[in-house]
Amino acid sequence: MIMKRRSFLKACGVMAGYAVLTVNVASEAFAAAMSFVALRQKSVYAADANPKIYTYRKSQDNPMIVKIYNHKDGFLHDGPCGHKSHELLHTHYIDRSAKLAALKAKGYKLSI
Amino acid sequence: MVPADLSAIHPQAEGSMRLVEGVMSRNYAPKDGTDPDKITFVQVDADKCEACGACEEFCATGAIQSINDDGIHQVVDPAACMNCGQCLVNCPYGAIYEGVSFVDELFAKLKDPDTVVVSMPAPSVRYGLGECFGASTGTYVGGKMHAALRKLGFDYIWDTEYAADLTIMEEGTELIQRVKEQGQKDARPLPQFTSCCPGWIKFTETFYPDLMPNLSSCKSPIGMLGPLAKTYGAEETDTKPKKIYTVSIMPCIAKKYEGIRPELNDSGFSDIDATINTRELAYMIKAAGIDFNSLPDQDPDPVLGESTGAATIFGNSGGVMEAALRLAYEVLSGEKLNNPDIKVVRTHEGINTADVNVPNFGVVKVAVASGLKNAAKLCDEVRAGKSPYHFIEIMTCPGGCVNGGGQPLDPEIQASLFRSTVAQINKRFRARKIKA
Repeated sequence: MIMKRRSFLKACGVMAGYAVLTVNVASEAFAAAMSFVALRQKSVYAADANPKIYTYRKSQDNPMIVKIYNHKDGFLHDGPCGHKSHELLHTHYIDRSAKLAALKAKGYKLSI
Repeated sequence: MVPADLSAIHPQAEGSMRLVEGVMSRNYAPKDGTDPDKITFVQVDADKCEACGACEEFCATGAIQSINDDGIHQVVDPAACMNCGQCLVNCPYGAIYEGVSFVDELFAKLKDPDTVVVSMPAPSVRYGLGECFGASTGTYVGGKMHAALRKLGFDYIWDTEYAADLTIMEEGTELIQRVKEQGQKDARPLPQFTSCCPGWIKFTETFYPDLMPNLSSCKSPIGMLGPLAKTYGAEETDTKPKKIYTVSIMPCIAKKYEGIRPELNDSGFSDIDATINTRELAYMIKAAGIDFNSLPDQDPDPVLGESTGAATIFGNSGGVMEAALRLAYEVLSGEKLNNPDIKVVRTHEGINTADVNVPNFGVVKVAVASGLKNAAKLCDEVRAGKSPYHFIEIMTCPGGCVNGGGQPLDPEIQASLFRSTVAQINKRFRARKIKA
């Protein structure tokens, strides 16, 4: 194939462009993902600060929170971390490390 | 609002696969009593895996790894997987699927007139859902989300954000108690870790069980709203608790694991009956033929619906910390916090630490970690007894729940595939040139 000087230069330009633009593609992709997350984060803080969306900005000011903890007749009248709270809203955790040890004993290598 | 007609929607066979907002998902709703550790919530379709290894890079535990000489990846065992789905949302080939989906079961419950279906959407859902209907990244669609849930036929539009406010009351109070009891016999240890994030909880239970006493005993917001719906909510609305079917709507895959934890039954029933994520909610809205963009903005139902800005920031890394400090500051100092913005704890990536001066009390030392690799660093510090902090917030997904494994996909990731393919070709071209 005979290539004219002009098309040769154009091809060189395109290749050089790709070579320059695609340096560190992995880190570029990561940065793009974070800007995507940043947009969502920004929107969250904007809603928090927007009185048209949220009248109150502190949990203790939520009228329904005040209602549920009301000392007289609230459902959780003994207050945060009270008896009823412990029954319904608190939990315990389960040691799952044996399953991990079994996995490692089988020869699996994990990164932690 | 008249609910949409769901009569044309029929369940698919259990185990069948379908595409949900760009992610393959297996129609499987685990029955009560199934051991969550034996369920694969996230797995690689070996036929679609191109052995690029992106998933492995985003996995903090190494649960997803190459299983043969071709470099095909798999989640090797559910015990090592925290179900966060960061591999799934970062796979450029769409090769990773979800193993659990309650969508068909939920449609059946919505159609059943005898079941009282309760919606419980997490904060972040309202910052992602709109993207499935053409809105730009991060658009807030809370009002439309509530309207869509009503239109789908949910009987009570309750909101996990309300429970986020409740979590602050409980977890903030617990922190203040822990600080005060230091030096006493049987004092609970500091730092206190947040307990909202289900990937992080399983991570502690699996890799750092010795730090379980540092975890706040508070359930996550959804863990609180489930039992409240079937007790307090049932009382307030005069509903029989056994008729109530609670639906956790999350930006998350690990919440599906949390939802079937057998110990979460404090209402006398299974506290959380079903868990779906943002993508699945969008799928259901589309399947029901609802025109999302033309919906009016609506409020949630009272009692378990109202929420504050402190609740909505739970979706961001550093948000639980900021919300907790808005309470702790006022309780510890006895003064009003005039500006609720505590920007120093807002975290985009990595580890963020801050000293917060509280009048009449002193310095509260806090740390926020985004991503489990960063969490492990803070855990090692606590294990070595060198952690100076009072309170540590951990989120499994970098940036927080807004970037959860159940959120709409970032279109850039699959688009970046084109650019990386070009890069690979260039690399080979250059390598050849050097050899020659």
